[in-house]
Amino acid sequence: MPFDTKRIRGPEESQSPLLFLSPDKVPESSSRQGVRGNGDVRPVFARCGLISQAKGSAYLEAGNTKIICSVYGPKETERKDETDMKTGRLVCDFRLAPFSCLKRGAWIQGSEERDLSAALLESLQPGVCLHKYPRSQIEVNVMVLENDGSILAHAITCASMALADGGIEMYDVVLGCALRQNGDSCLVDPSYTEECGNWQAGYGENQGCVTLALLPNLNQVSGLNAEGEMREDSLTDAVRTCMDGCHKLYPVYQQALIRAVKKKAPPPEK
Amino acid sequence: MAAVRLSEAEKVYIIHGVRDDLRLDGRGCEDYRHMEIETDVVSNTDGSAKISLGHTDVLVGIKAEIGKPKPMVPNEGYLEFFVDCSANATPEFEGRGGEDLGVELSNTLYKAFNNRRSVDLRSLCISPGEHCWVLYVDVLLLQCDGNLFDAMSIAIKAALFNTRISKVQISEDDEGGKEIELSDDPYDCMRLNVENVPCIVTLCKIGHRHVVDATLQEKACSLASVLISVTHRGTVTCVRKMGRGSLDPESIFEMTEAGKRVGKSLHAPLMQLLQEEESLGKKRQKVGFLG
Repeated sequence: MPFDTKRIRGPEESQSPLLFLSPDKVPESSSRQGVRGNGDVRPVFARCGLISQAKGSAYLEAGNTKIICSVYGPKETERKDETDMKTGRLVCDFRLAPFSCLKRGAWIQGSEERDLSAALLESLQPGVCLHKYPRSQIEVNVMVLENDGSILAHAITCASMALADGGIEMYDVVLGCALRQNGDSCLVDPSYTEECGNWQAGYGENQGCVTLALLPNLNQVSGLNAEGEMREDSLTDAVRTCMDGCHKLYPVYQQALIRAVKKKAPPPEK
Repeated sequence: MAAVRLSEAEKVYIIHGVRDDLRLDGRGCEDYRHMEIETDVVSNTDGSAKISLGHTDVLVGIKAEIGKPKPMVPNEGYLEFFVDCSANATPEFEGRGGEDLGVELSNTLYKAFNNRRSVDLRSLCISPGEHCWVLYVDVLLLQCDGNLFDAMSIAIKAALFNTRISKVQISEDDEGGKEIELSDDPYDCMRLNVENVPCIVTLCKIGHRHVVDATLQEKACSLASVLISVTHRGTVTCVRKMGRGSLDPESIFEMTEAGKRVGKSLHAPLMQLLQEEESLGKKRQKVGFLG
């Protein structure tokens, strides 16, 4: 778009007003104020079949995090190499809406979004029966409408529900769960403030975030992303806690999928 | 990653060998290939290192520039990573082919190295909120034969050890603007403390066992691998599961345990080697690229 030379434009560099907040006004992220325990996940709202044009779609809300996913395909693959002759290809696109985070993001996909797309692809691939779709590609588009923490974990769940809603054959649903390690305590399903933590606390010991993707019925881990410096035993405990977190929410997602299937193909009236 | 095509018989041969702790070149499952490291190979950089791990060659150059610190952390400098997969490595990387792999490698490096305890970012600050040192770490892949992450992380650690940042003084001049003064002595520099810089270990799952430092052929037989970044104290800075397959949780625990053990044992010999190379000083014969 050409720039309007007659318009008086503001300063070249603009900064978010949040940077000028005095430190004592920044909310303390130490306790969850009794609303939920350290090991509890946030209650989740999940619905499938929202987008009429897509083959499959799902919407997920966990606390204030809102994620929508749509699945298109299987359609003919764009690039044809030899591997495509035998198995299908899964193409994932992870986007954050510019208004989703505290600081405005850009529309062009940044490196963080590309990284999240790659992580999403890695987590979903083991769950989908790609050998049943040779020479085809399945497109998964995830859009985060509001980022209140654990977006990768919830995006994985949302995407696998959308794939199931679209009738793509899968070995199992892929569920995601995130955890934030803060010293010796861990917070399951952290919100945005809990995930970023206190900037001072970043210098402390054992601070990190773990995101896990699990196939619950097969008990197989399809994705693991951990960052921040942690001891090895904290990491193993974190992985186990995330697995429990996935199992806790599994009935909710099952219900949402059953409801969507009943709506699409209602059982015959007796 | 550049891939080789293997027949089914070759894959079965590799898998059965790994089961008996014997790989194609006779190594055990947790042995590295022959590694050669040399620092200070490029004179225009502030720090550089070249590593060859078997047939994988990686060259790292670090340049330090003065920049503005990030608004959220005004009293710290930062590191910027860029990985260039050049067409020298394989013809697949020609044009924009290597871009996806390059972006994936850079992103993983950010996660592994850019946390506060690896490099003391506060030492890179010149004046809080206004000037700081930005270290541009540029990695060049010259030859690709598997295990890129491990080679890159060791080369980055060696290059950071070799980095010499000139000492700088900020002074106020008459109009209130800041003036930057570089000291006259070219040898008056600041060195970085690389004790806490982690090393990345990639473990590939082949059959029921895992393998460290996989070659391209071994990579083609493995469906999933775990990348783990370990410091000399045994703490873990980044863990990622990569690949198209899924892993049993027990395998993951086993692989992280093995990765931690292997990674921890890499640091001491590496630091010793770097200290020895440094102590040779001016008399050192540079091997460079032709050795």
